[in-house]
Amino acid sequence: MRVRLDGVVKRFKGLAALAGVSLVIEDGEFFTLLGPSGCGKTTTLRIIAGFYDPDEGGVSFDDVPQNGVPPAERGIGIVFQNYALWPHMTVYGNVAYGLKLQRVPEADVKQRVAAALAQVGLSGLERRTPGQLSGGQQQRVAVARALVLNPRVLLLDEPLSNLDAKVRARLRSEIRRLQLDLRITTIYVTHDQEEAMVLSDRIAVMDAGSVLQIGTPFELYDHPASLFVADFIGSSNLLPGDVVEGATGDGHVAVHTPAGIVHGTAVGPLGPGTAVMVAVRPENLRLADGAPLETTLPGIVALTQYLGSLIRYEVEMAGGIVVRVDVGDPHRHVRLAPGDPVHVGFAPMSAQVFAKEH
Amino acid sequence: MAQEGVRPSLRPVVRLRVPGIVWALPVYAFLILFIVFPLWRLFRDAVTTEEGAFTLGFLKDFLTDGFYHRALLNSLLVAGGTVIGCTLFGFLAAFLLVRYEFPGRRLFSYLTILPIIMPPLVGIMGLVFVLGRAGTVNVLLMDYLGLRRPVNFIYGWHGVLLAMILHYFPLITLNVTDALSKLDASLEEAAEAMGAVRLRKVRDIVLPLVTPGFISGTTLVFILAFADFATPLVVGVQNLIASQAYLNIVQFVDRRLFKMGIVIGALMAVLAILFLLVARRIATAREYAVLSYRAVERQVLRGPARWLAPLFFSSVLLLAFLPYLGVTLAAFGRAWSLTPFPERWTLENLDQVIHLTPIFVLNTLRWSLLAVAIILAVGVPLGWVLARTTLPGRGLMDAIVTLVLALPGTAIGIAYIRAFHFPLPWIGVVLSRLWIIMPLVLAVRRMPYTVRATFASLLTVHRSMEESAASVGASGLRIFADITFPVIWRGVLAGALFSLMFALQEAAATILLVLPGWETMTVGIFTYYTSGTFGQAAALGFVLILICAATLFVVYRLTGARMGGLFGSGGG
Repeated sequence: MRVRLDGVVKRFKGLAALAGVSLVIEDGEFFTLLGPSGCGKTTTLRIIAGFYDPDEGGVSFDDVPQNGVPPAERGIGIVFQNYALWPHMTVYGNVAYGLKLQRVPEADVKQRVAAALAQVGLSGLERRTPGQLSGGQQQRVAVARALVLNPRVLLLDEPLSNLDAKVRARLRSEIRRLQLDLRITTIYVTHDQEEAMVLSDRIAVMDAGSVLQIGTPFELYDHPASLFVADFIGSSNLLPGDVVEGATGDGHVAVHTPAGIVHGTAVGPLGPGTAVMVAVRPENLRLADGAPLETTLPGIVALTQYLGSLIRYEVEMAGGIVVRVDVGDPHRHVRLAPGDPVHVGFAPMSAQVFAKEH
Repeated sequence: MAQEGVRPSLRPVVRLRVPGIVWALPVYAFLILFIVFPLWRLFRDAVTTEEGAFTLGFLKDFLTDGFYHRALLNSLLVAGGTVIGCTLFGFLAAFLLVRYEFPGRRLFSYLTILPIIMPPLVGIMGLVFVLGRAGTVNVLLMDYLGLRRPVNFIYGWHGVLLAMILHYFPLITLNVTDALSKLDASLEEAAEAMGAVRLRKVRDIVLPLVTPGFISGTTLVFILAFADFATPLVVGVQNLIASQAYLNIVQFVDRRLFKMGIVIGALMAVLAILFLLVARRIATAREYAVLSYRAVERQVLRGPARWLAPLFFSSVLLLAFLPYLGVTLAAFGRAWSLTPFPERWTLENLDQVIHLTPIFVLNTLRWSLLAVAIILAVGVPLGWVLARTTLPGRGLMDAIVTLVLALPGTAIGIAYIRAFHFPLPWIGVVLSRLWIIMPLVLAVRRMPYTVRATFASLLTVHRSMEESAASVGASGLRIFADITFPVIWRGVLAGALFSLMFALQEAAATILLVLPGWETMTVGIFTYYTSGTFGQAAALGFVLILICAATLFVVYRLTGARMGGLFGSGGG
């Protein structure tokens, strides 16, 4: 089912929680709302679910306006951050409750609950109560409870944030596989960018009640449209500076930073003298190994961290700027120690230059 | 260690560690001597003859007497009726206060708790002044509506029920409010998303989840209503089990009747324990640890409901405050009779009870403050033992404290009369002839509030806070003084003040144990009132209410009105 938001505004006590959000989520898509806490992602989800009515704008499902339609009549399945399993009912009772409300015949209820629990790998735990389950199991019950009603859209509100890292990684894959099997339109809320990247077909990055950028994980990572996205998705080294030479034909600009002159790709028009931030990802920085690069800056290794699959250096450069450099394939690389002098360089196409936000 | 420069002595610091059990033993001894022993004595006396031979004769006498059957049935009916009435008012009040926004909500949430500061004995007296045969309402009805005979608003069962419901419904409100505000919003939203709306949602999700809190509140109300003898006696209802226990015990002439009093006292204790056990079975089977992330948002009431809610609170509170009005009028009225309100005013009654015979006020304050001192000395260490140690006997002590909350004052009073009427072994003292018995029985009766408050406060001090103090070198006592005490003192003090307030109000055990010269305000009210000296009874009631109100005010300031957990018979 296609979910569409048109200029949705929501205010709480006069403060705008959502300042005009517009989105189109395609049928069968795994769509993630990503952003820091307080950015409005959960509010957006709750408006789609129908727990809040938007103050302005509207939500439509397959072009049918949903404003004023109560949650139960929207055909949604929802999984809450804390699962919201009813502690006084068994696993079976939790999953069966919605079917009973719909007066599904007893025999069908049994069969559908069994199927839903099998889907999430919990067959045999029907008679347990939520208190007797692990966090991961509770989460699966919540998913089964949402799916058993055959919803048109599945809404997940930070469903993995209360689990430990291993369980989280496993459930992440299971959720994605389940979603691909069912081809159900899924809207997922998280503040964890890695989770968003791994799971989603497309991601909307939100901040302060607005959508900053919508795109595939690939687009967001390689072509962030703003400094916020560049910093929030993955991690970036940020070098403050001023443009000294405007964009050339290939969009490259030269920027004067405390560490020296660097070259990067301008995002948007940037004239000489503009205050900017240069964002470069740690894995795009090279320790000078003879390859010719337009930008190379001298520095001194301050910290070495061995992470198995890569070595991470913190290099201190002129002007007190510290950058992180990730070097893959550590075994073919001469390790540097703190205090060693080094040259750090990068290609202009791997550095984005953004106008400084005021 | 790198401390040599700092500490000149190389002598290792020997820290004397007192094993926890040494702290706990005196506390255990206190509970055993003043709770377990008297109860054991009560039960033993119920099944032995004067000569000490075992007999089931008295029990048989009781069980085969139709009069007592009816009294027992009446008591259960009164208690059941009180619970039903309190549930209706209490639930509605709690739901409105927690879930909805309407004019005056904050004010009402404060006022709703006020009825419990009025001792039921004073409450029923105040109601009589307003609703009695010659009370304000009847005089008005006769004068202006030409009614020939006064309407019986209050004498009889309905009066007992009215007084008890008005007095006890805040206990249900507190417990249900507490349980309701702990519910996470998503539990209900998950149900709504599936189509369980309004009543269906309340029935399937909300009610089952507030049941434990509700049960622990109702158990307390049930037992309190079951055990109250003074209130019914004021409106002329004697055919109740608690009233019979009292009437049988205070007459020392007929040994058989006296023995019946003991049997009834023992029976009441057994029934209270039974009620408690049943309630706990129900409650713990449904007790869920639910972490609340997000409270349910208050819904703004619109339309007629917006005004019906304040109307409901105003009418209930108006009724609940009638006794205050009656007591105040009677305390300051001179020769008030046959007029709706006193025609002339006087301070004589107040002068009488404060200056001329201040013994009631002084005794009440003396016994209650001493009781609180005992409570702090025993209850705080006990709370600590329960919250922080794994000492043997904890479970038993916890059970005893909960039991005390449920034990009828009448039963404890009778148990004390029996247990401490004889020279105690070894020391040879007859405790029931020493004034110390008064603060002692008050301390025992009211200790649970302080123990629970201490326990709950200690749970909020995470062990790691104390451990991090220990890691920088603080000693045990130092940690307590610098870390633990600053966090818990408010809670403990609030608990102690609750103990104080209910000690001030005690009107069962003390009436049974009192000897000339020890009379408390409640004893004074009871004797003044039953001897027809209404003005002075009212003046004493007025002073008692003022003291209780002041105590409650301090509690409010200390705790910010979150006290639901202190009441109720549930976990702790």
